[in-house]
Amino acid sequence: MTTYFLRLEIVRMLRDPKYLALAVGAPIGFYLLFATLFGTLFGGGHTAPGQLPGTVEIMVEIMVAMAAYGAIWAVISTTGPRIAEERQIGWLEQVRAMPLSAASALGSKVVASVATALPAVILVCVTAAVVKGVQLSMGQWVALVVAIWLGSIPFAALGIALGFAVGADFAYPLSYGLNMAMSALGGLWVPPSVLPAATMLNVAYWLPTYHLAKLGWAIAAGELPDVASVLNLLGWTAGLAVLVLIAYLRPARRMGARAATGPATDPGLATDPSLAPDPSAAGTDRLAT
Amino acid sequence: MQAAAKSYARHPSVHPLDLEVRCGETVALPGPNGAGKSTAIGMMLGLVLPDTGRVRVAGHTPRAAVAGGRIAAMLQDSGMMPGVRVAELVRFGERLYPNPLPCAEALEVAGLTSERSRRVDKLSGGQSQRLRFALAVVANPEILILDEPTRAMDVRGRAEFWETMRAFAAKSRTLLFASHYLDEVDNNAERVVLLASGRVIADDTPARIRTQTGVSVVQVFLTGSTDWIGRFDGVSDVQVRGDRVRIKTTAPDALVAAVVGGLQDWHGINVSPPSLDESFLALTGSAATVSAATAHSAAENTGTHTTISSRDDHLFSSS
Repeated sequence: MTTYFLRLEIVRMLRDPKYLALAVGAPIGFYLLFATLFGTLFGGGHTAPGQLPGTVEIMVEIMVAMAAYGAIWAVISTTGPRIAEERQIGWLEQVRAMPLSAASALGSKVVASVATALPAVILVCVTAAVVKGVQLSMGQWVALVVAIWLGSIPFAALGIALGFAVGADFAYPLSYGLNMAMSALGGLWVPPSVLPAATMLNVAYWLPTYHLAKLGWAIAAGELPDVASVLNLLGWTAGLAVLVLIAYLRPARRMGARAATGPATDPGLATDPSLAPDPSAAGTDRLAT
Repeated sequence: MQAAAKSYARHPSVHPLDLEVRCGETVALPGPNGAGKSTAIGMMLGLVLPDTGRVRVAGHTPRAAVAGGRIAAMLQDSGMMPGVRVAELVRFGERLYPNPLPCAEALEVAGLTSERSRRVDKLSGGQSQRLRFALAVVANPEILILDEPTRAMDVRGRAEFWETMRAFAAKSRTLLFASHYLDEVDNNAERVVLLASGRVIADDTPARIRTQTGVSVVQVFLTGSTDWIGRFDGVSDVQVRGDRVRIKTTAPDALVAAVVGGLQDWHGINVSPPSLDESFLALTGSAATVSAATAHSAAENTGTHTTISSRDDHLFSSS
């Protein structure tokens, strides 16, 4: 039954036109745009595939950046705004009234979300290979796709934390804004070689966006991935997981009472007997139910 | 007992509550907003943990009963997973429960067969309610809990819903529902448990609850002055509309004798128990007075003035 639930989660994500447009269509479109644009600028006017060594490098660099961007947006957009919405409309409340644990509901969502990152990664690579003539060994292609795909996990943690921390109205713009800011500062929109050195060192070096792309660049260049990048991504995952736990515990308790109840006292506290010293005071919130 | 829901719970919004529902009963939980209905229902489903006391559902803990599909609920404010189709969601329910109703049958029971391929986020209010219902019946539960099931339905939708519900509950199922519509309570419940301020203030058949207040309604067409009626023994309320007079009284016989034996022209005299609405208002009104009085005496016992006011606030807010 959990597999069926997982299937439902994936199906509804794939049906969402916003997902298709922004997490699959956009990275491919931007890849073609930037690859053509930067190829013209830095490749001395030659955009034909593989003619100049510099051009090929740029084609690969932008391919990795756009695959990473698509994967990142796919996982953030299928976690944060959706969790916020489901909290608001009461789907999580309905889940609690059914024999499905909150943990497996959330787990299915994360797995489904990470699964939706795969089309963007694969399709950007296919576009690069077919349209711009990017050539990598089979092992490199596989390693690249897997690395970028699994490297999107910290962003799922970010999305979940956002989904529990903010309301449905705010979740989408905040997710999109964060995604754009981190991608731009992490060197996904502009090749890192073009970014001013100070920015790179001070900001990009700490961002998971940069390190996700760096993983891919290393693989595409035939090098071993940097341990620092792997550690950075693991660190972000761990840190955000703690945030998720903090954010999740609050509304998880609150699910017993409804979100629509008054803000006078925290209804989350009221469900926990040890935290509700004065039952008559805590009762005011419950009465609205 | 196959289906016994029992709770002795001490809770901020539900005072120690002792409620036993027997297998096959149809029980209504009416009551004003904030009476503790949703909390009581939450405790039966294990969504709300009682501070003290225990709840057993068909001999199991609430969560075990939910997991076993013995109890299923149509909750008031639950939302449905956006982006999936009606049949997909109900089929998920079919796979979730150990002894389910087939998906097609659950859709049929809920009257959603023709909406089976619609997206759940594109349904009307009444259809959404039917989907909530389908997701509860697909569990094939012994005990079905409905929290305001006909909200967002029009008159015809409500009538159809209850028709289906009666057919579904007829198969020796236990039904417990909360409703604001007292005609639904009157027409469908065998037993009414009236909650106010988290306490049970009445627990009886609808018919007996109507007579429990001891008040009767006398209606009569009367020409001439009606001023004397208000001063008549036992009369608590007089409404005059044209020559139609509606009187609430605790002594209907004496009033009827006075009208019949009087000099005024009268016709169409009728004595009836009060409506369920009126009974509930009378019962919940007296309950509010009682808890206000309790609050007051509690306040007096606590000493200093500041304590009194804060105490008072709390108790009043929960009444």
